[in-house]
Amino acid sequence: MIVHILNGLVYGGLLYIVAVGLVLVFGLRQVPNFAHGSLFMLGAYIGLSTLMVSNFWLGMLVGALVLAFLGGLLDRFVFRPLQDEDHVVTMLVTFGILLVVGDLVQTVWGKDFRSMPTPPILSGTVELFGRMFPTYRLMVILVAAIVALGLTLWLRYSRIGLFVRASSADPQTTAAQGVDTDSVSMIVVAVGTALAGVSGMIAGPLLVLSPSMGSFILMESFIVVVVGGLGSFSGAFVAALLIGQINNFSVVYLPWMSTMIPFLLMVVVLIWRPTGLAGGRA
Amino acid sequence: MTELAVTNTELHDGIPSTLVTRGLLAITPIGLCAGVVLSHLVSSNLLLSLMTQAVIGAILSTGVGVLYRQNGVVSFGHAAFYGSAAYIVGLATRHGVASIEATIILALVLPTLAAFLLGLVIVRVPGTAFAMLTIAIGQALFEFANKARDITGGDEGFRIEFPATIFGTPTSVFQKPGTMFLLCWAVLVLILCALHVFSRSPFGRLTVAIRENQERAQFIGYTTLIPRAMTYALSALIGAVAGVLAMLYNGFVSPDSLHVSVSSDALIMAVIGGLKFVWGPAAGAVVFFFVKEIAGDVTEHWPAILGIIVIVTSLWLRGGLAGALTSAAGFLRHRLSGTEP
Amino acid sequence: MTMGAIEGVDLTRAFGGFTALKSVSISIPEGEIRGLIGPNGAGKSTLIDVLSGRAIKWSGQVKLFGEDVSSLSPARRRCVGLARSFQRTNIFPDLTVIDQLDIAARRAEQPNVSEILRELDLKRHAKRRAADISYGDQRRLDLGLALIGRPRVLLLDEPAAGLTVQESMDLAALLRDLATRWRVTVLLVEHDMDVVFGICDRLTVLHLGRVLAEGTPDEVKRIPEVITAYLGDAA
Repeated sequence: MIVHILNGLVYGGLLYIVAVGLVLVFGLRQVPNFAHGSLFMLGAYIGLSTLMVSNFWLGMLVGALVLAFLGGLLDRFVFRPLQDEDHVVTMLVTFGILLVVGDLVQTVWGKDFRSMPTPPILSGTVELFGRMFPTYRLMVILVAAIVALGLTLWLRYSRIGLFVRASSADPQTTAAQGVDTDSVSMIVVAVGTALAGVSGMIAGPLLVLSPSMGSFILMESFIVVVVGGLGSFSGAFVAALLIGQINNFSVVYLPWMSTMIPFLLMVVVLIWRPTGLAGGRA
Repeated sequence: MTELAVTNTELHDGIPSTLVTRGLLAITPIGLCAGVVLSHLVSSNLLLSLMTQAVIGAILSTGVGVLYRQNGVVSFGHAAFYGSAAYIVGLATRHGVASIEATIILALVLPTLAAFLLGLVIVRVPGTAFAMLTIAIGQALFEFANKARDITGGDEGFRIEFPATIFGTPTSVFQKPGTMFLLCWAVLVLILCALHVFSRSPFGRLTVAIRENQERAQFIGYTTLIPRAMTYALSALIGAVAGVLAMLYNGFVSPDSLHVSVSSDALIMAVIGGLKFVWGPAAGAVVFFFVKEIAGDVTEHWPAILGIIVIVTSLWLRGGLAGALTSAAGFLRHRLSGTEP
Repeated sequence: MTMGAIEGVDLTRAFGGFTALKSVSISIPEGEIRGLIGPNGAGKSTLIDVLSGRAIKWSGQVKLFGEDVSSLSPARRRCVGLARSFQRTNIFPDLTVIDQLDIAARRAEQPNVSEILRELDLKRHAKRRAADISYGDQRRLDLGLALIGRPRVLLLDEPAAGLTVQESMDLAALLRDLATRWRVTVLLVEHDMDVVFGICDRLTVLHLGRVLAEGTPDEVKRIPEVITAYLGDAA
C-alpha cells in the first residue's frame, strides 16, 4: 500500500516537473504549446546521447541548454510574432513543430526502444517503512518538491517572477508597463522549454525512450495543466499529485476506466470552469 | 481574428454571386463524372483503395473545416464522431439489435444528437479551452473503447459480419475498391454541394456573423447558443458519415478509429487544404495522402514534410491549397478576359 | 405619473469593490430624446449596459413600456423593441454592409434595410466589406444595426465618438429627424455638448454613480453643482 502511494507520488512528481514548463509558457502566452511533448522527448534523447559519451548529469545539462536555446527561438519566431492573432494559429504552428521534431528524433535515433541507465549514485535502494524502495524514484519525488519550492520562491521574490505572475493575470496591462516584455518572455519560455528537456532526462531511467513518448507525455501534461488551472503553478502541483494517485489506484479498483478517468476529469473541469480548478484565465 | 476569417467574397469562393447557383448545378454532375472517369483511369486496386481512404479522410476533414468556418473553433477530437459511428454499427450488428440499414441510420443520428447536446454545453467554452476539450473527449472515448473489453472488444477490435445486401445493394459493392471509391466520391461531392448551399443560407450566414461578433449578434436579436450547437452537430454528422463509410469498407472496428491521431490527421488535411473554403479540407486530404503514401515511398520523412506544410500554411498561406488555386484561377480568368482583377 | 417608455428603477451595480451605479432611477417618456451626460467615470456607459442587458451583476428593475424586462437577455430585449449602439464600433468586419443589415432585419417585424441604407447614406457602400469603409461610415453602420426594424427605444453610447465636427452635426440632425419621424425614444450618452444641446429634449446628469440633476438643457447648464462636476472635464 505504502509502495503504491509512493509510486503514485513518483509519477505525480514526474508529471509536475514535466507540466511546469507548459504552465510557464501557457501563463505567459495564453497558448498551449503542442510541441511541449516533443521537447520533452528531445531532452531525453539528447541526454541519452550525451550520457553515452560522458555521464547522466552532463546529459541533463546539455539537454537543458539545447532546449533553452530552442525555446528562445520558439518565442522569438513563433509566439511573439503571432501574439496578436487568433490563438488557433499558434496552436497549429506548434502542432506542426511537433510533427517535425517527431520525425527528427526518429531519423537521428531510430524507431527502436531505447533505455536510459540510472545514474550510478542513485541506482541503489533505500529502506522506507520497512520496504526497499529504489533511490532514483525517491529522488524524483524530492526533485519535484524542490522544483515546486524553487518555483514558488522565484515567482514570489524575483522580478521576472513578478512579471510572470502579472502577465498571467493581465497580459495587456503588464505589456503597457514599459517592461521589456520581449526579452523577459523569451527568457521565461526558454526556462519552460529547458524544464521540459530536464524533465525528459529525469524521466529517462523510469520510462522507455521511443519516438511516441512525446505524444504520450503531451497528453498527460495537458491533463495536468488543464485540471490545475491553465496557468496556475500551485494548481498544476495539486493536479499532478492527484492524477499520480488516481492513476495508481484506479488501475487496481476500476481497471477498465483507469485510463479514461483523467480525460473525464479534464472534460468536467473545462466545462465547469474553463479556467481550471485553481482559477485564472482561459 | 483577421487572417483566417471568412470574408463575404470568400463565401462566394471568388466567383460572382450570380454565377454560383447556376455554377453549382453544372459543377455537381461534372464532379460526379470526374469520379467515374478517375475510377476507370486507375486500374491498380491498391491505388483505388488508397484513393477511397483519401476520400473518406476528405469527408472527415470537411467536417472539421465546417466547424472552423462556421463556428471559428478548432476540433482536435473529431475522431470521436468517426469512431463512434463505426462502433454503433459494429456493436449493433454484433448483438443483432436491428437491421444493418437501421443501425447505419442510428450511427448517423446518435452522434449528431449527442454532439448537439454536448455542443449546448461546450460551445460556450473559449477557443483554446475548447480545443483541449475536444482532445479530452476524444481520448476519453478512445480509452474507453480500448479498455472496456466486455463491451467494445478491447484494443483488438472486431470484425463485422455483414448481411448480403445493404439498402438493397450487394454488400460487395462496399468492399471493392472500384465501386466503393465511386460511392464515397459521390457522397463527398454531395456533401460539398450541400455545404456550399448551407453556407450561403440565412442560417449559414448567421453562424458566420456570430463567429465574427457574437456580442453584436445577440444585440441584434439572436440567441447564439443554439445556432452554434447546431453547427457543431452538423460537423459531427459529417464525421459520422465518414465513419460509417470507413466501417462499411473495412468491415472492421477498433479503438484506432477513435485515436487522437485520426483527429489530428483530419485537422492537418483541413489546414493544408485551406480552412476558408468548403472544398479546402478535401483538397488537403489529397495532398495529405499523396505525401504520406507516394512521397512516403521515396522518403521516410513525410511527417516532417506535413509538419512543415502545416507551419508554412498557418503562418503565411492562410488560404491553404484551395486559396492558392482560387487566386491562381481568378488571376488567369482576369488575364484571359483582359479585365482588372 | 405616466408610464415611461423606458425606466430604470433603483439601479445599482458594483464590481470589484467599486460601485458604478448607486440607486439610479431614470424614466424617459415616449418620444423624448434624453441626453445622459456627466464627467468620465460617472457611470453613463454602465447605465446603458444595465438597461440594454449587457451587465450581469446589478440590482433594481428595468421596465419597457411598463413591462419588467430585467430578466430578459439582450437578444430578447431587442426583440421587444429595445436596441442599442456601441461606443467602440461593434460591427461585423468581414460581412458586407448589406449582409449584416439583412441578418439584423431577419429578426425584425419590419425589415427596412433599404430605408436604413438610404437614411444613413450607406447605399453606395452596400456591397462593401464593413472593414473596408471609413470610420465615419462604420459608426453609421453601428447605428444602422440598432435602427433596423425601427426599435421603440434606442440607447446610444457616444454615437459621435471619433467623428469630425461636421460628421457629428450631420449625425445629430439625422438622429433628431429619425427619432421624430419614427417616434423612437432615445437615451443618448454623449460628451459632445453641441450634439447634446442641439437635439436633446431633456438631460440627466450623472456624477459618481448618482443622478446629480435632471431638466431641460437650459436649466441643467445653469445648475452650480453640474458646473462644478464638469470643471476640468469640459467636452
